[in-house]
Amino acid sequence: MLFLKEKRSTLDLTEYTVILPSICVGNAAQLACDLLIASKKLRRIGSLTHPALIPVYGPSAYQHEPNEKVSSCELYEGAEDKLLVVQFRAPWIARHTGSFQQELVELLKGARRVVILSGSFGFERRVIEESPWAYRASDNFKEIHAAQLGNAELIKWKEHTGEAIYGGGNALQLYKAFDEKNVAVMLLFRYLLEGDNSTDASLIVKELNELCEDFLQLRSGSGGDSSFKLTVPKSWNLLFGNDITELLF
Amino acid sequence: MSCPGFGELNIPSSRAFWDDCEEDEFENMKPAEKLQLKFDVESAGDVAPVASDLLVVIEGPHVTHFATTVLAKDSKRLCSIPAKTSSLHWNASSKQLLAILEDDLSSSGEVTELLLPYAKLAKNVVTLTLKPKVEFKSEEIQFYSDHVAIVRGVGVNQKDITELEAPNFIAGVAAGIASWRDQEELPVSSFVIYTDKLPLDSTAAQPVLKLLKSVGVTCNSSYIPPRKESSYLYM
Repeated sequence: MLFLKEKRSTLDLTEYTVILPSICVGNAAQLACDLLIASKKLRRIGSLTHPALIPVYGPSAYQHEPNEKVSSCELYEGAEDKLLVVQFRAPWIARHTGSFQQELVELLKGARRVVILSGSFGFERRVIEESPWAYRASDNFKEIHAAQLGNAELIKWKEHTGEAIYGGGNALQLYKAFDEKNVAVMLLFRYLLEGDNSTDASLIVKELNELCEDFLQLRSGSGGDSSFKLTVPKSWNLLFGNDITELLF
Repeated sequence: MSCPGFGELNIPSSRAFWDDCEEDEFENMKPAEKLQLKFDVESAGDVAPVASDLLVVIEGPHVTHFATTVLAKDSKRLCSIPAKTSSLHWNASSKQLLAILEDDLSSSGEVTELLLPYAKLAKNVVTLTLKPKVEFKSEEIQFYSDHVAIVRGVGVNQKDITELEAPNFIAGVAAGIASWRDQEELPVSSFVIYTDKLPLDSTAAQPVLKLLKSVGVTCNSSYIPPRKESSYLYM
């Protein structure tokens, strides 16, 4: 079920870029979307419910929208940049995933391009010297971004051709579902390990910015990575739970 | 004596699914059978959603005995809800509808959809989620070490109730109903109680009963938990 705010009845994604996370190792892709939403101060325009999603409700996750309530699948928009970011806050229920994925593709297929963010187990990277990044893109996406993807100086990602992305959740299945509908889609993932994945999340956003700087515009100046501006959302407080009680010692 | 698994690094095969499913399995999963409310024989002819003045949704682990004892007095059980021993009760005199939900996240999205027709018709909705105290996150957690219960509200604007703060949130059917009402801009009061005793005993039940009374829910003033067999630990 799609909820849209301000009495909007449809989601018009013409010329929009959609970024959505898969629920992957270390939740790195969801953390990256959190950074994107908080840094670009995206506006919540709606949410999705489905039996595949465990309902979630609580205080706002971001400083810039203090009156919002979190839900399991949220839609955030940057109207100026024609950007839509989807955020998931709960794992999915496997037996309903197929129908939810279809619903999601139907909803988002009108977009100009779709970028799926994900992660894979670090130990799946067989050659240590290789790039920690890999991507998979549909032919029409490659056409749109031929200049960037063909520039080895800018993009150092390895093209993934395998049949599985271990630890990537439903990323590859989602990619295939969009590709079947001829949506320009790219799946970008990083090899990483469980732990404090906040750094991986900022690296994912930075890398995405290399490809999509035209609309992400996350650099504050013309300098290098040091000038990269990211805002950490307040929901990242206590990412690893409470402090250990002193009574323990 | 050895300790199996000690020191081993257990990496989950997938974070994507709440239920037990591998990443390469879910594509071949059969579509799920649709869950349904199972109406009791006496109310079999009356399956249309009832319009209530107040819908109370109470959810948590082992909540059935507490909720049926203190909240479902003078109520008629309408149906069972397909999540463990969950059920729906109707009090015609007070026009209060009560959903008692055992903690079962894997069916919570579907059960929420089953209960939405009732949530649509209700004039007001109160949801209460019971959670173990260890799940409460705070930068000042030491302050709460002696508290029997930590009571929080989500967007309730009630003077004596502190607002829940990120990164805490609630999950489950109560969250689904509250979220739907909030998005539809319909009245809803959502609460969570982090308690150090689940299932509730007579002491841990007091803050719960106090909260329910303060929001106008008809309930008993005390709770006596079911008698348990002795532990056989001592003669």
